[in-house]
Amino acid sequence: MSRSYLFIPGDVPRMLQNLDVFDADSIIIDFEDSVAIDQKDEARLLTQAFLSKHHFKELDLYIRVNDVSQKTLFEADMQAIKALNIHGIVLPKVTLEALDSVDAFFDRENITFPIIGIIETPLAVLEAQTIAKHKRIQGLLLGAEDLTKDLGTTRTLDAEEILFARSQIVFAAKAYQKEAIDTPYVFVRDEAGLAVDAQRAARLGFTAKASIHPNHVETIHHYFSPSKEAIHEAKRIVAQSKKLNSMRFSLDGSMVDKPVIDRAKALLKRAEKYGVLS
Amino acid sequence: MKPIYYNLNDLFKTLTLFDGMGISFHHHLRNGDAITNLITTEFHHRNLKKLRLFPSAIFPSYHGILTLLKADQVDTITTNYLNGPVADYFAKHGKPNSLKMQTHGGRARAFIEGENKVDIAFVTAPTVDREGRASGAQGKSACGSLGYAIEDVHYASTVVLITDNLVDALDHYQIDGTTVDAILVVESLGDARGIVSGTTSITNDPVGVKIARNATNLIQELGLIKPGFSFQSGAGGISLRVTESIKTLLRDKNITASFFSGGITKYHVDMLEEGLVKTLYDVQCFDLDAIKSIDKNPQHKAISANDYANPNNPHRIIKDLDIVILGATEIDLDFNVNVTTDSYNTIIGGSGGHSDTATDAFVSFIVTPLMKARTPIIKERVNTITTLGKHIDCLITERGIAINPRRHDLLEQLKDSHLDIVSIETLMARAHHYTGSPQKTQPKKQPIGVVEDRDGTIIDTLYTKE
Amino acid sequence: MKPIVVGSLESSDCLITLTPSKTTTITIESIVYDAFGDAIEQVIKQTLKHHGLHDVHVYVQDKGALDYAIEARLTSAIKRYRSEADES
Repeated sequence: MSRSYLFIPGDVPRMLQNLDVFDADSIIIDFEDSVAIDQKDEARLLTQAFLSKHHFKELDLYIRVNDVSQKTLFEADMQAIKALNIHGIVLPKVTLEALDSVDAFFDRENITFPIIGIIETPLAVLEAQTIAKHKRIQGLLLGAEDLTKDLGTTRTLDAEEILFARSQIVFAAKAYQKEAIDTPYVFVRDEAGLAVDAQRAARLGFTAKASIHPNHVETIHHYFSPSKEAIHEAKRIVAQSKKLNSMRFSLDGSMVDKPVIDRAKALLKRAEKYGVLS
Repeated sequence: MKPIYYNLNDLFKTLTLFDGMGISFHHHLRNGDAITNLITTEFHHRNLKKLRLFPSAIFPSYHGILTLLKADQVDTITTNYLNGPVADYFAKHGKPNSLKMQTHGGRARAFIEGENKVDIAFVTAPTVDREGRASGAQGKSACGSLGYAIEDVHYASTVVLITDNLVDALDHYQIDGTTVDAILVVESLGDARGIVSGTTSITNDPVGVKIARNATNLIQELGLIKPGFSFQSGAGGISLRVTESIKTLLRDKNITASFFSGGITKYHVDMLEEGLVKTLYDVQCFDLDAIKSIDKNPQHKAISANDYANPNNPHRIIKDLDIVILGATEIDLDFNVNVTTDSYNTIIGGSGGHSDTATDAFVSFIVTPLMKARTPIIKERVNTITTLGKHIDCLITERGIAINPRRHDLLEQLKDSHLDIVSIETLMARAHHYTGSPQKTQPKKQPIGVVEDRDGTIIDTLYTKE
Repeated sequence: MKPIVVGSLESSDCLITLTPSKTTTITIESIVYDAFGDAIEQVIKQTLKHHGLHDVHVYVQDKGALDYAIEARLTSAIKRYRSEADES
């Protein structure tokens, strides 16, 4: 479970070799939109060469491949990365149909990478539930820029135009215990706007937010880390459970049972991982 | 009333000129300065030999000095910082013992103690009155503080002010006129666009941002942000980013700093005007906002290099400095820092106030990328020592922090820290993991001069490149 | 056959130009030549050997690329060189 997914272009050595200094929980090395069509092979070769030499324990690495409708690109991407030590792939323009093709390809090639699907078409928003349910899917990532183009509307800070998509993704993901990852905020220098956008997504129930600039990671972590209050509450629950040696007790008048205690423990584990425990 | 000249020739007729004489300049007009060129060109035409030059710094536009060097009219240059064609000339053709690099505080000390013997100080002054009082804060060529020129005015045998804005009387001035001998009025002191360096902006480079974040976290963990603390940062993009983070901290925690010193920028001025710091002690304005502020904000004070950093001045401002943020071109395993040359004897700068502030500040911080492209910044041994390692306390990079083992107190304070604090050897190994180990550098060539620490001690030798 | 040009002159990258030649020749221009010239040459030789290429002139303009990047850029250049050579 990550709070931040940072996109890094796959064909820019300066960014690639610094991917571990930006403090993101997860990195998505991009072969798709940020790589020009005549640079695709360069991105594959650079990423291959880099990840064969350097390994990252603390960091979850993903690669955004080209979408499966571009068969040649997609298959060349997969051939280039299937032996790499990465956590999974990010699949653009996901739909049920696309997922079926990928599924068949993965079966044939014996590939087991988990998939984060980018929901960026109206059809995908409608299919979100079934996509989320798919066994290979680890999470859903909203791609609001492409989606609003298809909707014939424009992106605003208010984000009314993507409210339905956001909620649909959160419901679909949560229904199947998958990750719900919010769309990147594309105005790189607008830190105030980023804060508003991130806070809104966190409130809607997203577990993480993607970003296209390293300088956004700190703000994203601020809104997607367990809050001080939540940590304090979780600590009390765990402590009380230990003290009473019980998995079922009352605290401040509300009932605490095993799922609550497990959730509290999971929250503390995450808080520790993110360095926000104290 | 001082003698006023409107023509260079008329002025020069009154001056005593001789081979071997010492002349000084200041660098407050930076790359926009036309006067250093005007005067040095005149010395060239008059064919004066064995000149001893004392410019406080040399910028790429100072071609008059290059002409004197090429014509073999220069015996020595004593300065605090140089880059551009003059620096390149030294690296190629420098003669033995022809260059001495001082610190800002050391230069003031050497003027006061008679080591820098200057016959005529040519002091560019944006506004001058008929009594020889002068200010840098006003005029079409305003540069703000004239901090580095004050000792020249007090200790040179003859002092000439050069201005393009002569007024009847000045109420507020930085030079009191008592030691001024003559005033030269010219059409223009230079190009205003070059006076403001224009390079002072906060870094948005993600690696720089990470370094600044690490620095801010370290400063916080050390508990240095407390009411009445003092702070100095250079005008580098990373240093300024740290300054901005500290601004946010001061706001959030409702803390007021006592003073910021050194080179002043818009970012420092904003904090003064917001009440986050009580006083700015300004030895040098880096941008237009600083120049405007020094004219209107009483708590934005112009100070001399002597009051700023002279090590033998018990009242120097930086004696009370808590935090200084500095850069490095190279740093070695003993924490010696080089900002004077690159690894191959090209002269790229100099101490300025680096050694002064690192020595005096309670904690000195070096902020630098661990690698610049493939070049690891940590060396076994720096090519040139600008600041001795015993004065450098913390090295902060994007891939970890090293604390000078001499600072037991800091290490003790940080022993439970979550920050990525490792030995400097480990940091170097982290860099080499990416870059590979560099080949041995070329042997030193002909010595051309020395690096003098602020107290007059020679701490290193400068060499030619080829 | 036109020269094959791959890479960029951005910091930490390199621009590699391949042109046909009777034997292998290598020209390196690098901002870190004094410290890493030998290492750069070695990566180039190894990569050429790995791909069994003996008849090119390799011209590297290096802006501080790490070994992996030089290897990847050269590999890409060699692939393009081969496919161009096949076509002509």
